[in-house]
Amino acid sequence: MTTDELDPLIHVPTRLKIVATLAALPDGDTLSFTRLQHMIGLTPGNLIIHLRKLEDADYVSSTKASNGNVSITTVALTSHGRKALDAYTQALRDLLSGL
Amino acid sequence: MSHTPDTTAPAGNGGSFDPRQAAALLDQTTQQARRQFEPAQPWLLVIRGVVVLAVLGAVWLNVRGQHPYQHPTAAVIPFVIAFGVLNLIATLTVRRRATAGVSGRSRLRPAEIAVLTVIWVGVYVVMGVMIGAGVSDRIVYGLYPVTAPLILAGLAWAVITATRADWQSCGTGLAVAITGAVALAAGPAGSWLAAGIGLCLTLLGSAAVIVWQQRRSVVQP
Repeated sequence: MTTDELDPLIHVPTRLKIVATLAALPDGDTLSFTRLQHMIGLTPGNLIIHLRKLEDADYVSSTKASNGNVSITTVALTSHGRKALDAYTQALRDLLSGL
Repeated sequence: MSHTPDTTAPAGNGGSFDPRQAAALLDQTTQQARRQFEPAQPWLLVIRGVVVLAVLGAVWLNVRGQHPYQHPTAAVIPFVIAFGVLNLIATLTVRRRATAGVSGRSRLRPAEIAVLTVIWVGVYVVMGVMIGAGVSDRIVYGLYPVTAPLILAGLAWAVITATRADWQSCGTGLAVAITGAVALAAGPAGSWLAAGIGLCLTLLGSAAVIVWQQRRSVVQP
């Protein structure tokens, strides 16, 4: 088994951190963009770029809600994204056991 | 704030993200996130466990020599009330910090908050009615205020969390209700000590389970 078999969308440090952080939430919960940004330690622009890639693959969903004058963006891992992370973790285990 | 290098290149395509590094990062990030999202911080559970044992143990020392049983004296009641208020404030503060920015299914619904509030307020309203009705001191100032809140709130919490398939919290609710039931059998004076020991063990047990879950590796099964 080689690293090529690891999901290239997740096998990037920043995106792995995003997906792992969102996976730590209970299923069905969402996280505000601002808190995710603080937890990961990225600039908003950088985070948006990575989230867009994950959204395009349907690993992550984001929702924008307006509360008066303030608009809040929330992010969640989709069931597809959770499965992809599980598969990635299993692939990582298989790879490490072979090293 | 620390900034992670922005590595957008996928592995196997010019990137050099070693699988061992990936495994370490996955574990580290998951454990960090679990700690930050946890509404019941283990350190707070341990403090609450020790303090509840000290406070209820002090009440037991205060009433154990009463024959017949009357009630805790004015010397210990302020400690019980102060513990209740500080416990509530600390729990809500830590919970609010942990769940900041989190929304969805795991948050308590207004109806569930209302049920828990009605139980806590209702227990003391009924206590007032019992005092007015002249029910014996051993029940009104002994068995009832110790056991009724634990049994009712514990069972309500167990049902609420069971509907969410949150079996760990459900177990905590059942343990609290069982503590109330055991305290009921310990008599009016002994119920204070039994409740103190039961709650202390429940809180310490919960803290141990949470720490174990937080440190569990994702990659190494």
